[in-house]
Amino acid sequence: MYAFEYFAPKNLQEATKAFNSFNDSKWLAGGMTLIPSMKLRMNAPSALIDLSSIEQLKGISIKNNILSIGAMTIHADVANSLDVINSLPALASLASGIGDPQVRNRGTIGGSIANNDPAADYPSAILGLKSKIITSKKEIDAGNFFNGFFSTSLDTDELIVKINFQIPESAIYLKFANPVSRYAIVGIFLSKYHDEVRVAVTGAASCVFRVNELEEGLFHDFCSSVVDKTDYGITNLNDDIHANSEYRRYLIKVMIKKAISILQKK
Amino acid sequence: MVFDIKGKFNSKLISSIGKPLERKEDERLLRGEGLFSDDFNLEGQYYVTFVRSPYPHAKIKNIDKSDAEKSPGVIAIFTGEDCLADNLHPIPHSPVPSTKYDLKLTDPEGKDIFIGPQLLLPVDKVRHVGEAVVMVIAKTNFEAQDAAEKVYVDYHELDWTADINSSLKEDSPKVWDEIKDNICVDTIFGNPEKVDKVFNSSKYLFSKEFHIGRVTGVPLEPRSALASYDSTSKRYLLYAGSNGAVRHKFQISKTLNIDPGSLRIICHDVGGNFGTKNRVYVEFPLVLWASKKTDNPIKYTATRSESFLSDVQGRDLLTKVELSMDEDYKFTAFRASNVSNVGARVISLSPLGKGIALVTGPYDIPLASARARAVFTNTVPTNAYRSSGRPEVTFAMERLIEIAAKSLGIDPIKLRRINLINKDDMPYRNALGVTYDSGKYEDNMNKALALSDLDNLSIRKEDASQRGKFLGFGFSNYVESSVGNPKESVELRVDADGFISLIVGTQPTGQGHETSFAQVAADLLGLAPEEIKVVFSDTDIVKKGGGSHSGRSMRHAGTVICLAAEDLIDRGKKLCSLLFDQNYQSISFAREGSFTWSDKKISWFELAEAIEGVELSGDLHTGLNIERENEMHEPVFPNGCAACEVEIDKETFVPKLTKYIAIDDVGRAINPLIVDGQTHGSIATGVGQALFETFYLDKASGQPLTGSLMDYGIPRADQLPSFVTELNEVLSPTNPLGIKSAGEGATTPALAAVINAVVNALEEFDIEHIDMPATSFNIWRSVNNKNKESKS
Ligand SMILES: Cc1cc2nc3c(=O)[nH]c(=O)nc-3n(C[C@H](O)[C@H](O)[C@H](O)COP(=O)(O)OP(=O)(O)OC[C@H]3O[C@@H](n4cnc5c(N)ncnc54)[C@H](O)[C@@H]3O)c2cc1C
Repeated sequence: MYAFEYFAPKNLQEATKAFNSFNDSKWLAGGMTLIPSMKLRMNAPSALIDLSSIEQLKGISIKNNILSIGAMTIHADVANSLDVINSLPALASLASGIGDPQVRNRGTIGGSIANNDPAADYPSAILGLKSKIITSKKEIDAGNFFNGFFSTSLDTDELIVKINFQIPESAIYLKFANPVSRYAIVGIFLSKYHDEVRVAVTGAASCVFRVNELEEGLFHDFCSSVVDKTDYGITNLNDDIHANSEYRRYLIKVMIKKAISILQKK
Repeated sequence: MVFDIKGKFNSKLISSIGKPLERKEDERLLRGEGLFSDDFNLEGQYYVTFVRSPYPHAKIKNIDKSDAEKSPGVIAIFTGEDCLADNLHPIPHSPVPSTKYDLKLTDPEGKDIFIGPQLLLPVDKVRHVGEAVVMVIAKTNFEAQDAAEKVYVDYHELDWTADINSSLKEDSPKVWDEIKDNICVDTIFGNPEKVDKVFNSSKYLFSKEFHIGRVTGVPLEPRSALASYDSTSKRYLLYAGSNGAVRHKFQISKTLNIDPGSLRIICHDVGGNFGTKNRVYVEFPLVLWASKKTDNPIKYTATRSESFLSDVQGRDLLTKVELSMDEDYKFTAFRASNVSNVGARVISLSPLGKGIALVTGPYDIPLASARARAVFTNTVPTNAYRSSGRPEVTFAMERLIEIAAKSLGIDPIKLRRINLINKDDMPYRNALGVTYDSGKYEDNMNKALALSDLDNLSIRKEDASQRGKFLGFGFSNYVESSVGNPKESVELRVDADGFISLIVGTQPTGQGHETSFAQVAADLLGLAPEEIKVVFSDTDIVKKGGGSHSGRSMRHAGTVICLAAEDLIDRGKKLCSLLFDQNYQSISFAREGSFTWSDKKISWFELAEAIEGVELSGDLHTGLNIERENEMHEPVFPNGCAACEVEIDKETFVPKLTKYIAIDDVGRAINPLIVDGQTHGSIATGVGQALFETFYLDKASGQPLTGSLMDYGIPRADQLPSFVTELNEVLSPTNPLGIKSAGEGATTPALAAVINAVVNALEEFDIEHIDMPATSFNIWRSVNNKNKESKS
């Protein structure tokens, strides 16, 4: 680890001020990604702005069919929240499958999304649901948030405040976990709204993505045979020691079909 | 000289031996009171970071340390040239197994093997990614790391070779210019001509090539070393965990060119070894040398990343096996050609040598030949890894038997039964001249089968199929060997305070010696295990000893404890005779730990008190303190089998081990609870390689791709079923307690049993073999290739 400064501001103004007083600051949430990368000397921020004392960034609420989750909410809280379990059980189940108990009690939804690890679980929920990212500067529609490999449309000094999810009629998250890291090799988030079906895939490519051709087909006929019939031409899938692109393509199909059949039974 | 001490043990003595006592050491360890290497710190210690090679193979053209030397907190920076200037020697690894029963490996000309000298820091070139090149010492760990980044090593990259086949090729890049190619060992055993003849006229002949891949030990505690030098006493002190500090002491002193008496090594608790801590690492002598040079204590602790990059690794054997049978399916001859990937230097040939001796396994095969080769590659050296060399050859034999049975259309269990060595033929000399001491191989198999419920296998398969799973059953027999360093020593010291110290040369790395050694001594001396205090881990107290490897510790320590106890009892009688003016003959030793004559009785501790202050002369001058050494070459052959079931998801092809049965003959189990714990870990080690673990190198760059626990798949509790384990204790006639060994046996058949189950589960795809690790990706790929094949 390299030397760095540390601040723990109490509100957003203080946070932004502290952030901008160094030329290479970083927000610190649960530190589950950032701290290990600093220990490996792959990341060398001059200052860490710890968001854990900012109350405004925490908490879960529901209003007008919108589930709102503060950026600093830890995975364990999302997994155990009755509001989430009752309104959007797929999201609670997603959160309960992240890492291990230690990670779930430190890692945050904001940190996960800002980091945009191609194998992380939450990004699929952001894209697989109608959602909005509320930041310290603006509102970003889910579709405009993820920009590719570990990249988002956040400005460097911009921070995520909360995420608003529009509650669907039904939804499911299925993860084919890497047997070693337990991150997603393929993760499928499938949701049904009255006017739309969404299918988002994480783990399989350099960035989470939606399968638009399939969504269209499934909206008209919600049935797994549609998956075989649709030419949804996914290319550029990841190739690594744990799964090559062909196996990932195969798994996407298997997992989407499984997701459909489970939702059908509900 | 070798003691002949067979059959001397009187089974009437047994009281704590054989009892599943809880481990004495557990309370201390569970309370966090363990003392591991990194727990030691010395006032004002400096820290070391090593600059390591980023390349598999490169010339070192220049090392510029001027920037780094200016970095804050830096004390000193040393390179290979500095080591040479101070006349430091290469580490004197002794890679060739040393007992007279080990098969003798030689170089291709039949001469001594070129091992590739391991200088403490290289001066010519780097030979694997992660090799230490420059030593940076600073006041804090962070300052050392900062400075290390400012050391500029100018490398000239060279072509490299990492796998066995490419290293064997004539035009392969050469790891060492000192020899003509990469082949450092080439020895033929057995009778190749006769085997050829039998092969030519045999009814059936089967052959197959297997690669048993590279794995690494991943001990919970990374290696660590803390050194200091005292200029007044001119003595060195090293805190470093290993499997035996005594051997380390001698090897390190040779490297440093110092008198072994001037080096003290302290090694308390060791957080896992599996072979990774058996050998001296360059960091150990380097911190000692540097602490003298800087006149300050120096500490080094490897990070997990360094552990992955530079811990010695395991397995990596390419083996081609051929087996002939007659019309009754009786095995008639066997041939193996084994090539071991030793890495950049030969640190241990134990995996190759031990494997070769056991290529015919537990089967009665009249004729065999085996070619043993070892090749250098640009990879981390390999060493004995839990059950060194035996799982590899067991895998080849047990996979070949399955393949043969399938092609013959007969039950593989039946094929094994026809050919297993009969218990009445024990001791059995195998076709390569190795004599198995004892064992009831068919009984092992029967025990496992009785627990396997094969009658209902087809029902279970059907049921699994309904649940969307392919279910497979797998089986493997094994025989392994426990040899290891032939010498062991012990000291028994009766203390008037009420305990007997048992100072022993070997070193536990998690095997529970404090408990099981105490059980043996307690029974022999008529005491309770609590009254025996096992002492190890400080070379100023422990002067000799072989270390824990090759399943040798319980057997060697048990034997030398028997001898020492006899001496101690004799000494006690003599002291009674002297002190109480009795005839030696009239004194007897009673089992409850006291000496008696006429109506008198005196305990060990009363006697110790009685001799306090008494001037003892001649043979008796050490009082109730006995040192004993023993040298025992004869190996023992633990054996057993494993049966398991695997379910593979029909859609995703994810395999899950659902049932695992292990039958092991460890000889006498001194503490069955400890043995059982060892068996569990041992199974996990084997299953790990079968299903999850491989140390992958990138084919294009030679860079490790599994440098962290995010990519290297060690098995986890939720991936393993509850194990069914049973012992089949057949006492070994080679040592007084009848011990064979535990802790490595159960690893030995696990690779084969699991892969046999995986292949069996995939029956309908007619797949002959699946490479390890059998991940869902590998299984899917095999099935997919098969489907493509059958379509075209
Ligand atoms: C062992 C282990 C296993 C894991 N397994 C999984 C898994 O299975 N699935 C999965 O999805 N994830 C997994 N994770 C990741 C983990 O769940 C965290 O979500 C992730 O590490 C990031 O969250 P964090 O709160 O720790 O963020 P940090 O590490 O603190 O920050 C991550 C990045 O986000 C930035 N950041 C943080 N908060 C904000 C904000 N509010 N606004 C803007 N930028 C911000 C930081 O500056 C930093 O760049 C695992 C992690 C570990 C260590």
